[in-house]
Amino acid sequence: METPDLSPPDSGKLFFSRFRTVVRRTLFFGSIVIVNLAATLWLADLFWRMGFQKAHFPLLAVFIVLNGLLVLGSFHAIFGALDMLTGRKRAVRITRLAEGKSGPLAKRHAVVMPVYNEDSVKVCARIEAIYRSIEATGHLDSFDFFILSDTRDLDLWVLEETAWTNLCRRLGGFGRIYYRRRKTNENRKAGNIGDFVRTWGGGYEAMLVLDADSLMDGADIVKMARVMEDYPRLGIIQTPPKLIRGSSVFTRLQQFAMRLYGPLFIRGLNYWQLGGGSYWGHNALIRLKPFSEYCELPALPGREPFGGRILSHDFVEAALMVAEGWEVWLAWDIEGTYEEAPPTLADHLIRDRRWMQGNLQHLWLIFARKLPFPTRMHLFMGIMAYLGSPLWFLFLLLGTWIAWDRFSSSLSQLPFESYVDRWFGFNGVEQSLVLTAFIFLLLFLPKMLAVSRAILVPSIRRSFGGLLPILAGSFLETLVSMLLAPCIMAAHTLMVLSIFLGRAVGWNTQNRETDGTSWGDAIRFHAFPTLLGAAWTALAVNISPVFAAWMSPILLGLLLSAPVSVWTSRARYGKALARHKILSTPEELKPPDVILLADGATAAVDPALDGSAASRRGVIAAVVDPYVNGVHVSLLEQSELSDVDEALAERCLALGPSGVSKNELSELLYLAPAMLLMHRAVWLRPVEGIHSVWTQAVESYRRRLDQTPPPGST
Amino acid sequence: MGSPRHSLDGLRPLTEDELSEWEEAYAAVEAYLQALRLRNRLLVAELVRGILWRASARRVDEPEKPARLLAMEEALMEVAEWTQDVLDVPLENRRLAARGRLALLLAGMPDKWQGVFLTPAPWPPAFVEAMKKSYLAAGPRFAALTMVPKPLELNAIGSGAAQWWETMDRKPITRIMFTGALLAIITLIAWFIFLG
Repeated sequence: METPDLSPPDSGKLFFSRFRTVVRRTLFFGSIVIVNLAATLWLADLFWRMGFQKAHFPLLAVFIVLNGLLVLGSFHAIFGALDMLTGRKRAVRITRLAEGKSGPLAKRHAVVMPVYNEDSVKVCARIEAIYRSIEATGHLDSFDFFILSDTRDLDLWVLEETAWTNLCRRLGGFGRIYYRRRKTNENRKAGNIGDFVRTWGGGYEAMLVLDADSLMDGADIVKMARVMEDYPRLGIIQTPPKLIRGSSVFTRLQQFAMRLYGPLFIRGLNYWQLGGGSYWGHNALIRLKPFSEYCELPALPGREPFGGRILSHDFVEAALMVAEGWEVWLAWDIEGTYEEAPPTLADHLIRDRRWMQGNLQHLWLIFARKLPFPTRMHLFMGIMAYLGSPLWFLFLLLGTWIAWDRFSSSLSQLPFESYVDRWFGFNGVEQSLVLTAFIFLLLFLPKMLAVSRAILVPSIRRSFGGLLPILAGSFLETLVSMLLAPCIMAAHTLMVLSIFLGRAVGWNTQNRETDGTSWGDAIRFHAFPTLLGAAWTALAVNISPVFAAWMSPILLGLLLSAPVSVWTSRARYGKALARHKILSTPEELKPPDVILLADGATAAVDPALDGSAASRRGVIAAVVDPYVNGVHVSLLEQSELSDVDEALAERCLALGPSGVSKNELSELLYLAPAMLLMHRAVWLRPVEGIHSVWTQAVESYRRRLDQTPPPGST
Repeated sequence: MGSPRHSLDGLRPLTEDELSEWEEAYAAVEAYLQALRLRNRLLVAELVRGILWRASARRVDEPEKPARLLAMEEALMEVAEWTQDVLDVPLENRRLAARGRLALLLAGMPDKWQGVFLTPAPWPPAFVEAMKKSYLAAGPRFAALTMVPKPLELNAIGSGAAQWWETMDRKPITRIMFTGALLAIITLIAWFIFLG
């Protein structure tokens, strides 16, 4: 394999001039600082007018941070809208940079999909769709595909092997689609990718990193590879994935919101980050040489949860690349990039727990040397995405305390002099209403801008199913988001507390499909916000009905946590909404080719090689089935069978797979001679000599062959 | 394969035990052939019959061995030797028997080549070629890159914090004292703000 020609960053010209970068960042963050300061002074003036108390100091301090985050979010949408309106589209447009270039790619690229206890048939269906999609562009020869397994479930391991073998058989993919499983999953996903880079990375110019639920269009992948080859200073191209395949109300809400509002935020983000972008862990093309040179993650000081191995590796990898002079672009115009979302609020929060710990570890990196400003901003935004919740909680607590204090002390308002009164002539009520209106404007302006754009641009309006579905969907999304926000706030606050108390998180399989959250689970899972809501409601009503009315959106969200969680988890309600095109996305109404390819992909399923039959699934199939055993053994390294191993194999034959420990079974599965010995034994020995699980599996083949399902059926 | 010239005249009465034992042997061989996804019933029946004839012939010399064992040994040996002949490589150890089975699968035997299964040479060249080029590779040739972690360079605040953090990790008493002091300060501030 040819050694890639790798250029250091100094050899390439910066895509964005330093002047433009500085102007844009100054304008963007300067506006945020000014608006935030103005709002804070306005509130301080209001407090002064009401009679300043000591409790107002922390309230004001928290307000500065919270309002700053709110302004930051809103201004992303506003600058994104301005960028779209002014038509200044020079900021990294991959489609334009790749325009008019149709020759073969000069370098070789890898498509890598790390998997961890996933449904192997679905994983292979996505690989098949991407493979066929690239094949359709005529550039397949420039790509190799890698399924990088960190799967710990032994049955799923065998299923991955059979699914991959079937996939290669059907696509003719041997020598192009590879499967590798790590024996130990050290350092989780980052370690998995790192292992690939260390073993095969030298053979490729760049790797397209996917998640197990990722899907990308082949033509877009080729464009990205072309741009990567043309711009030697480019380190990472991150695409903004769209959420697809949502069936529950919760997922449909997420995918609708991301699809409708997302482009504004993405453009806004791109407006200021330019070449100093971030990496979101998947659906991104990464140049391998600098990645290998700079992105082996250092351990953080101390132990988990704050120290030790970095969990959220992606942000840090981009940070290390940018710090070394490589550019990281956000390819906002790449359309064919998709992923799936957790199906329920409970699953979403479970994933958040993992992400939160990872993002809070980034606190260390805020104090790292050499990191440029945009990188620190990305890290800061990632941290505040979770710390914002406890701060909001604290803000509400302080507000409640002040209301209670005023109520219990029965103080009347004193006529303190106010700047707002002097300059604008507003009384106290008007002043607070103006501030409230401003906050609401910040909250809802991005949605209003996005909905207006969708209504006014005919192609977007049609793609979402028309005017009514857009209005109904955005109304429903806004309503449910308001209900969900307090519950998420409470959950995040608890998570932050648990992390501060030193509880580290494990690496659980992500739930990608479910039939919904049961009432029992929901009540248990959301007990804290529900009880908190009940207590808070009682207190608020006790303080005054007016205060309770002001707090009602929060209190309602807390009280209804469990029912909203259950309702939004139901796929049947999601489907009912879909029938009326409510919360539908363009990808749902008119699925792109690569999604159709994935929907119709069946190459990984073949009854000739099947490790998933009910009576002989996974490990049992690897022992009993002649073909599954053949595939499994062929993928193992050469080894010898010791007496101890033989005794273990005999024990497994006598007691069945459940009669040995998981580690012992794993060891057996790694020993080719043991797997062959067991295969022979289950077929040769009489029924009395081995455990019934093996004899039943052998017996299961003795059925009339006309009962065999046709090829391709599941 | 069993010879069609075998006459039924040679059959002798079998005991219940013998019937049951050979029934088990028949079932095992049939199941194995079905596990190899042979779909044709006549073909399966023929192959089972042939293998059982061989097993019964061996039984004369090895009466202590159960019929099932003999029959399955014959079946596995037949498949291994036949794939060895087709692949034209010596299957010296059991691992290569797995290689033979894998080759059958990858050559598409379950779908395409049932008719030639266990038949003597010559075989269709396309079948032989498909068998010979069947292999699995988990990855391409190694092309290593090195990844060496660089220590995190912290600024003065970060270094101080890291040192303090690691000290607290090492010394639980210091950690408890620090946490206690922190909580006391927070309580004092809260008291001052809200109740003072």
